[in-house]
This record gives sequence, C-alpha cells and structure tokens, in this order.
Amino acid sequence: MPNTTLIPPKYAIEIRNLNFFYGTFKGLKNIDLNIAEHQVTAFIGPSGCGKSTLLRTLNRMYSLYPGQRAEGEISFYGKNILDADQDLNLLRARVGMVFQKPTPFPMSIYGNIAFGIRLYENLSRSDMDDRVEWALSKAAIWNEVKDKLGQSGLSLSGGQQQRLCIARTVAVKPSVILLDEPTSALDPISTAKVEELINELKSEYTVAIVTHNMQQAARVSDYTAYMYLGEMVEFGQTEQIFMKPARQETEDYITGRFG
Amino acid sequence: MVNQVGLTLSMFAMCLGLFVLVWILFVLFKNGIQSLDWAMFTHSTPAPGSEGGGLANAIVGSLMMVLVTTVIGTPIGILAGVYLAEYGDESYTAELTRFVTDIMLSAPSIVLGLFVYAILVAQVKHFSGWAGSLALGLIAIPVIVRTTENMLRLVPGSLREAAFALGAPRWKVATMVTLRAAKSGVITGLLLALARISGETAPLLFTALNNQFFSWNMNAPMANLPVVIFQFAMSPYDNWIRLAWGGALLITLTVLILNIMARVFFREKVQG
Amino acid sequence: MDKHISTQFDSELTSVSSRVLQMGGMVEVQIRHAMLSLSQFNVDEADHVIAEEKNINSLEVEIDKDLSTIIARRQPTARDLRLLMAISKITTNLERAGDEAEKIARMVKHIVSNGTYRNLPASELRIASDLASGLLRKALDAFARLDVKSAVTILKEDDLIDTEFDGFVRKLITYMMEDPRTIGQGLDLLFVAKAIERIGDHSKNIAEFIIYVVNGNDVRHTPIADIESSLNS
Repeated sequence: MPNTTLIPPKYAIEIRNLNFFYGTFKGLKNIDLNIAEHQVTAFIGPSGCGKSTLLRTLNRMYSLYPGQRAEGEISFYGKNILDADQDLNLLRARVGMVFQKPTPFPMSIYGNIAFGIRLYENLSRSDMDDRVEWALSKAAIWNEVKDKLGQSGLSLSGGQQQRLCIARTVAVKPSVILLDEPTSALDPISTAKVEELINELKSEYTVAIVTHNMQQAARVSDYTAYMYLGEMVEFGQTEQIFMKPARQETEDYITGRFG
Repeated sequence: MVNQVGLTLSMFAMCLGLFVLVWILFVLFKNGIQSLDWAMFTHSTPAPGSEGGGLANAIVGSLMMVLVTTVIGTPIGILAGVYLAEYGDESYTAELTRFVTDIMLSAPSIVLGLFVYAILVAQVKHFSGWAGSLALGLIAIPVIVRTTENMLRLVPGSLREAAFALGAPRWKVATMVTLRAAKSGVITGLLLALARISGETAPLLFTALNNQFFSWNMNAPMANLPVVIFQFAMSPYDNWIRLAWGGALLITLTVLILNIMARVFFREKVQG
Repeated sequence: MDKHISTQFDSELTSVSSRVLQMGGMVEVQIRHAMLSLSQFNVDEADHVIAEEKNINSLEVEIDKDLSTIIARRQPTARDLRLLMAISKITTNLERAGDEAEKIARMVKHIVSNGTYRNLPASELRIASDLASGLLRKALDAFARLDVKSAVTILKEDDLIDTEFDGFVRKLITYMMEDPRTIGQGLDLLFVAKAIERIGDHSKNIAEFIIYVVNGNDVRHTPIADIESSLNS
C-alpha cells in the first residue's frame, strides 16, 4: 500500500559534506543526504534548524546575496552545482522553486506562465498556448482560469495564486521542484488541494518540500529529514520516521515532547 | 488629555494649511480668470504698450522644452534608478551616484541655471531652448532617479526571487518584473518631476531667456511661461499684468492637475 | 462516503476495508469447513482448518500495520477515525472467530480419536452453526455497506443463537444423564457448541462497531431496546 519501491531509487541530487555560512555564522553543518528521483522528500524541524537554508542551496538562490556561501558538494545528476563555472540561470531553469508567499507577476495569467517559458524556449503561438494550458492543468487550476487568461494574476484568490505559481514553475519542465513552505499562507482546503497536487507531480518530477507542519510531511512525503540547529539528525522513509524513529531527538520532536 | 491636545494642534495645522491653499487659489482665480480666453491661446505676447495679446508663444515654448526634457530625461532617470535599486546596492559607484543625486536634488535651481549658462550658453554665445531643456533636465532627472529607486525598493524581494527562480537573468528580472510591478509608482514620480519643472523660472532666465515672438526654433531664445510672468507681473502695463495673472493661473492649474493625476493613478493601481 | 481531496487517502481506506472483508471471507470459509468436519466427523477437513488458521493470524497483523501507518500519516478525524478504530476491533473479532473455528476442528479430531461419537446429537448443532456462519456473512455485508439497520437486526439474531445454545445444553445434559459413559464426548461437544455461540457473539460485536462508525455511539453493553430507541429518535 505505501510508496516503497523495491528497486533502490536513482538519486536526482546527492549532497556531500555541505557546510553553509551566513558571513561567519555556520547555518548548515556537514549535511549528507540523497534526494531520490520521482519521490517527495520532506524537511522538518523547528525554526532556525536550517531546512530553508538547505533548500535554497539546491538552486543556488543564496548566490543572490553577498556574504552567503556554501562549501561542499551538491551533485545534480552528476554535476557539482557549487562549482564556480556553474551557470546559475540554467540551473534555476532545471531546479524550480515555489515560495511560501504566492508571488504572481504583475502580468496576465497567460503572461505569468509564458514568462518562464520564453526565457529558454522559442515556441510558436499555438505551442505556447498548448504549454500554458498543460501547465495550468497540471496545477489543477485550468478550469478555474481558462476563461480569464488575460486577467491579471493578482486577481486570483490566495490558493489560486499559489497554484498559479506552481503552474509557472512546472511550465518550464524542470527536473526538480523545490517547495518552501508552500501552504503556510493558505486555508485548509487550498492546502489539501496543493498536497493532492504534490502527490500527482511526483510521477514526473522530483520534489523536495520544506514544511513547519510535520503532519503535512507525514501526509505528503516518501522520505523525511529531521533537522536541528543546522544538522541532519535523522533521514529515512517517512513511515519509519513517523512510526519508529531511530533517534530519540526525532521522536521527541514528532511527539511534541520537544523543548 | 495629551491625545486631545495633539489632535487639536494637528487639526489646527491642517486647517491653516488648507486655508492658505484655498486663499492662494482664490486670489489666482480672481485675478487670472479674466485672462483665460481663446485669445490667450492664440495670440503671442504683446509688445510693450500694445493692446491685447496672449501667451501662445510662451505656452508652446514651455511645452516644447518640457517635452524635450521628458523625452531625454525619463530614460536616463529610470535606468539610473533601476541600476541603483537592482544592481548597485552596496557598491561604491552606487553610493556615489546616490550622493550626487541627493545634492542635485537640493541644489538651488538658479545655480543649475547658471551652470548651464556657463557651459553652453556662454560657449555658443546665444540663449536657446535646448539650454533651457538641459537646465530643466538637471532638475528633473535627480527626482526621477530617486523616486524610481524608492519605488523599486518597495517591490518585495520575494517577487524578484520568484523571477530568478525561473532562471531569468538579472536584467530581465529588473525590467520585466520589478519595474513592471513598480510601474505606477515610477509614473507617479515622472508626473511629479513634470509638475516641478513646469513652474521653474530661475534656470530658464539664464538659458532660454525669452522670446517676444512665436517661434518653433529651439536653437534660439524660447518664450516660456515662468519668465513671461516674471517679466509682465512687475511691468506698468495693464494687459501685461493681466496676462501674467493668467499665466500664473495656467501654471498652477497644470501643476494641480498633474498632482491629482499622480494621486489618482497611484491609488488606482495600488488597489487593482 | 464522499471522497477526500487526497485520492491517496481514499485508496488507503478502501484498501484496508477490502482487506478486512477478505479476512472475513476467509473466516467464513473456516467456519463452514469446521462445521462440515463436525457433521461428517471428517479429520481431513479438520486438519485443513487448523492449517489455514495461521493465514488468518498473519492477515490480522498486516491489517494492524496498515492501520498504524494510515493513522500516522493521515491524522484521521471524526468518521475516518471511527472507521479505523472499528476496523481494528473488527479484525480482532474476526481473528477470534477464526480461533473458534480452529477449536471446533480440534474438538472434532479429539472426538473422533476417542471413538463412539456416532451416538452424540451433533446434528442438533446444525441449526445453531448455520445461524452463526450466516450471521457472520450478514455482519460483513453490513460493514461493506455501513448499514445500521442491518446491524441492529444482527444484534437481535445473536440472541437467537444464544437461545439455541441454551436449548442444546439442556439436551446434552439429558443425554449425559441417561448414559454417563458419554459424558467425556458430551463435554467435547459442549465446547464445540460454546465455540459456535462465541462466533455469534463476535458477529454481534462487529455489528456494534458498524453502529459506532455511522452514528458515533459506542453501543457495547447497551440493551437493544435502548439502541433502537436512540436510533429512531
């Protein structure tokens, strides 16, 4: 019944000995971790444990800010993305990210989706139309917006905006999708819809999700990593983590005996 | 109790300000409304002593100079603002640019006028509309740079990150996303810069000077409203004085409308 | 039942419910074979039943594991939670019913090995045993459809089995009093009768949990009259 494949998974991302610095402060300490292809890997832990930091190394988002740097190795399908010669824009086209706050661009709904596609692909009008429809369908929002593609992205509700952002990310066909607390700003029904969406996305994409809601991690993920103070405390299959964690610290956090 | 005192004082201050504004407008209207007729827009400034006349050449001259300033100054100002907000941040060049902009913002406009006189007018040995535009530009551009930068800074970082996360290069993020998001604020800044230069007199004194006759030639002294008002207001001729009031009213109405437009536009965009 | 937004949750619930029905089916078969072995005093049938018992036990373990996983992952509430709680208890009842069937089989072997069984009124048990296995079928059906009316009927029919059991015990006592040499086998038969009566009780328990899932009322240890009146109100 649960999603345990018997074949050992192929890894989309392999992290070795990752250390991260905000200036002199060490935000991540010696992280070793593999993110399996076509599976959902969740990162949980209390605030400040480094889970968002870790996620943002995977698409080198931290490189936008001087003073933040990473050391170690992050192997994305064999290539170390921490190398100096890594093309950041190209990386981010292959590793997409959805943020906590829905951020539709100040353009039409169609324009929002087309923006990312036009960066790297030259599609004809009809191909673009098809791709926009495909992306919005994948994000389970096509039926709600198909008659108002010309309207501003800002005219949608919060839950719809977030699904628009997911459609935007999916449209450029990345290999990996990173989700940084994607449902924190949403109501329970929108949250459930997004969670259902994540379940469907996993057949074609590799998903990594950071969430402060550990029950969400239990519902949605195949693998879970528990982090504390910049370190990886425990990593394993979600069922095992939530039923019989190997480390006492993990059990304390999950059962709410923490702190 | 302190609350009441504070409230009363601010209400008083507001009433005072409002009263003064209304008084100014009232005086302007009372004196200027009689000049606001078709003749003002069709006839040029009258020679000393002659009857009638209008402000046509001054209106056209002002419009042309302001137009040239806008066309050249807007791209420069906006691009500089984009650079400061999206690229510069902590760099030395950016800090220097901001410093210079701030100084020019607070520089007396007469100084800027004299400067253009020295480098351009004195060199070519004649006044011109181009020099006038240059002087107005030196006033307008710092305003545009500052407001553009400020409006861009107001755009939340999360929007930029979302664009970067799709693999967009910085210049595309800056222009297609951030600038677009700040569009209404930037346009408001433009309108306010426009309002400011519409009424500047001192710089034009040394650059465009004035022209009694109607002219489209920017390479020669150019008639313009502020200088005309300056000249006519203190003259002994009745029709000149009358025209001066008319001109003053015209400028005031223009500035008023531009400010209102800026407000309405900004509010509309923010809500939409 | 309406669908959840999470299709995976739906499929997990459907899957575990199907397993329960599968387990119930296996237990039904066990009971039938056990009663067959009794009516024919067939040792081969009895051995078959005893061998199958472990499959039922391992299915109980698997279902419990699935339940824990669902609870850990889905944090079910309200009706979903009651369903899972009920399934946990229902599988226990099914497993015990399976145990009773195995006990019957063991008793049959014991009786046969002692000989002289042909004189015992084993056929008298036929009515009760048919009632019992029929009742289990009804209970599993009612669970599949979460049918409260059917569940209440089952509660009443268990009383019939109890009555039959009492009647059989009286008959057996008469028998044993007439011929004290039959006391040994008589007691064996008594154990069989008791096992059948308990199977009926397990079906009754299943019915009680069906009412719990649908209405949220825990009706164990509540008289039937009270149950009916609360359902009608």
